[in-house]
Amino acid sequence: MTRRLWLRGLRARLLAAFALVTMLGAAAAVWSSAGSASTALVTSYQQQLTQTIDEQIGAVTPQLTYPPDQDALDQLRAAVGTNTLVIYEDLRSVDGADTDLVTDELRSAVRAENRLATQRITVDGKPWLLVGTPIMITAPDGTRTPSGIEVYSVRDLTDVEREIDGLTMSAITTAALALPLSVLAASLAAGSVLRPVRELRDTAGRLAAGDLDARSPPQGADELAELTATINEMAESVQTSIAAMERMQADAKRFAADVSHELRTPLSTLTAVVEILADTTDEMEPDARESAQMAITETHRLVRLVEDLMEVSRFDAGTARLRVEEVDVVGAVRDSLRARGWLDRVELVAPEETLLRLDRRRLDVIVANLVGNALRHGEPPVRVHVSASSEQVWITVTDSGAGLPEHVLPHVFGRFYKADAARTRTPGSGLGLAIALENARLHGGDLTVDNIDRGGGGGARFVLRLPKDPEER
Amino acid sequence: MKRVWWAAVALLVAGCGVQPTGVTDGGEAPTGVAPGVTLYFVDADGELRPQQRQTGSLGTISEALSLLLLGPGGSGLRTEIASTSTPRVGVTVEPEVIELVTPLTIDDVTPLGIDQIVCTALSTHVQGGGSRSTEVRVRFTLPTPESDEQRTCPLIG
Amino acid sequence: MVAILLIEDDPLVRRGLELALHRHGHDVRTADTGEDGLREFHASAPDLVVLDLMLPGIDGFAVCRRIRAAGETPVIILTARGDDFDVIGGLEAGADDYVVKPAQPTVLDARIRAVLRRGTGTHGGVRVHRDLRIDTTALMVSLHGEQVRLTPTELRLLLTLSRAPGRVFSRQQLLEEVWEHSYIGDSRLVDNCVQRLRAKIEADPAVPEYVQTVRGFGYRFGPV
Repeated sequence: MTRRLWLRGLRARLLAAFALVTMLGAAAAVWSSAGSASTALVTSYQQQLTQTIDEQIGAVTPQLTYPPDQDALDQLRAAVGTNTLVIYEDLRSVDGADTDLVTDELRSAVRAENRLATQRITVDGKPWLLVGTPIMITAPDGTRTPSGIEVYSVRDLTDVEREIDGLTMSAITTAALALPLSVLAASLAAGSVLRPVRELRDTAGRLAAGDLDARSPPQGADELAELTATINEMAESVQTSIAAMERMQADAKRFAADVSHELRTPLSTLTAVVEILADTTDEMEPDARESAQMAITETHRLVRLVEDLMEVSRFDAGTARLRVEEVDVVGAVRDSLRARGWLDRVELVAPEETLLRLDRRRLDVIVANLVGNALRHGEPPVRVHVSASSEQVWITVTDSGAGLPEHVLPHVFGRFYKADAARTRTPGSGLGLAIALENARLHGGDLTVDNIDRGGGGGARFVLRLPKDPEER
Repeated sequence: MKRVWWAAVALLVAGCGVQPTGVTDGGEAPTGVAPGVTLYFVDADGELRPQQRQTGSLGTISEALSLLLLGPGGSGLRTEIASTSTPRVGVTVEPEVIELVTPLTIDDVTPLGIDQIVCTALSTHVQGGGSRSTEVRVRFTLPTPESDEQRTCPLIG
Repeated sequence: MVAILLIEDDPLVRRGLELALHRHGHDVRTADTGEDGLREFHASAPDLVVLDLMLPGIDGFAVCRRIRAAGETPVIILTARGDDFDVIGGLEAGADDYVVKPAQPTVLDARIRAVLRRGTGTHGGVRVHRDLRIDTTALMVSLHGEQVRLTPTELRLLLTLSRAPGRVFSRQQLLEEVWEHSYIGDSRLVDNCVQRLRAKIEADPAVPEYVQTVRGFGYRFGPV
């Protein structure tokens, strides 16, 4: 299992394959050379032994009495050397104990073929060469007939084997020397393949992390270089389209900011004069009075909308700044409710005092938006619950209405999102919850929404979470 | 995969050491034993005839030629080689040629007598394991072109 | 009748505010550029200046600094909501308070009255704290016997703090008492005003004796 894991790396696999191929090649070379060398060695040694015996016999036969007596056999055996057995009919001449090794197989072959025969055997791990031959009588015309004399000789092949073993060992050593060289070569080859792969991986990682300027310099003209070029092209086109998109988005945001900025001047005038209008409605005709009231209400709405738009623009532009100070959250929430006359419509459940470093104005905006939303769209009673741990503070706003439909939940914080298409005329700007969420995030906290009872029947629940130390986010 | 590894190991091991074999042929068996030697004489019709001499062993070419020079004895055969007081012949065996140095002059032998010498030498050579295609040069005591001729036996070869 | 100088470049806004402030009982003079405004300021010596920061020519900050250099006339600036650059710049230039545009005349009127209200009224007499002498009836402050010229806001801040030496006032409390702001005010108004006050009455503003900071809470007077 470990091995499989280890082999998962490209480098490891390349190295292993390279080393394996080298070792197999070396082993094959060793095997074939050692094999052929040992075969050649054994064959030549065997031929030499056989020839010697043949010559030794040939040297004494012309002087040998025929039919031979025991003396003649002994003479022949002495000429061939130790470990030799000479037979003629019932006569035997033996020297050396190892002649017992002569096999029946060899004897019958010698008798059947009337030719010199050899056999290699291994007894107790020791190699032996058996040589057996009849001695022939040759007529003057070349006709050969067996003389009835048989010579068997046993020769020790241990020296040859030792020589062969030495040969094999040196070949294996040579092959083993090839291993570190092959590993070195494999590392170099793997490195040359893997370096561009690693560079590509780093580049892709940087691209994924958002660094769209990341590129890999293509090297050479192989497949990897083509891949590198393709990835570079891809990065290029992604960068271009993202840049275009960002430009368009920035343009749109700047446009919204500019529009609301421009609206502020006429609104300043309107705000100034509708008050005068409001003071004088008593003296008006009913129609005119209603019209004046509408103008006043709508002006205030417009002011609120423009203010919210500018607030959102500041978040978009990243210019919104926190002004943190030590604040008692419970007191701040209570002040928010009191300032809007909501204290008797909202149930506040909170510990006595919870100190927190935050932007008091932004907290007020969040609370006002959440509670205002609950009062407008939910059913009473509306509850605000403040709780705290050592690291965070939660402010939960719940109502007792039917809750929000499941499909609405993900869009609640969207800008100008209206859950109910028919109910488009609400006193809110449509940006309140979006601004509340941005404010929560600016504090390093967040704002989430769900229903108390997911099955329905429970009201909507907004949870504002604020970290105790906004610097540590 | 495992089987491949075992095969590779087996192949490697097979290359090592001296392996036993069955019985293999080692060529011609040695020869050279014989109950006696073959000499060549001439019969009544003037033809070459081999004569067996039971000497107990084959012996050398030189020994055979000495016996030949001593004559056929009482066997109804005759020799066409003049008798000599020193029946000893020098023999040099080379791979293709046997050179004989006789104690005779060219006048001491008839062509048939030369055949007697050549056949006896070759017969002994062949019985001792020599090749039948070996040729014989017979040298005489006095210089003669016949000394350089390479001869074969009409009965052998 | 309070004489107010309104410096605002947009003619309709200027006229609208002029009408509204007039209805609140103020005597309003107007100017449409910084240069005009300063000329009018020196000519008519108004009780208070309402200043739009976005002006052609000399901008609102520069106008504010010159008015402050000329005397203790209170200045209220008109800024965009939450525009920190405007608020901080304006306060540093010496503004007493600010109102976010579009300004509701009722709010603006309330701020004007708050800024101009000098005394706290009820407490008469002279308080002496070491070298500092505060005459709460004549509304005069002197240090080492020399009169210190304070703006109405600075004076009210000093009077409020010195009313109860040693007592800690939070920034919110001071905003409500001195600036008469609703419950959420901008605490930078307080910090800025304290700085200016210290510059005028403390021997070493970096190591204040009279107006001391209570870290994390607010300010207190003394104890001397």
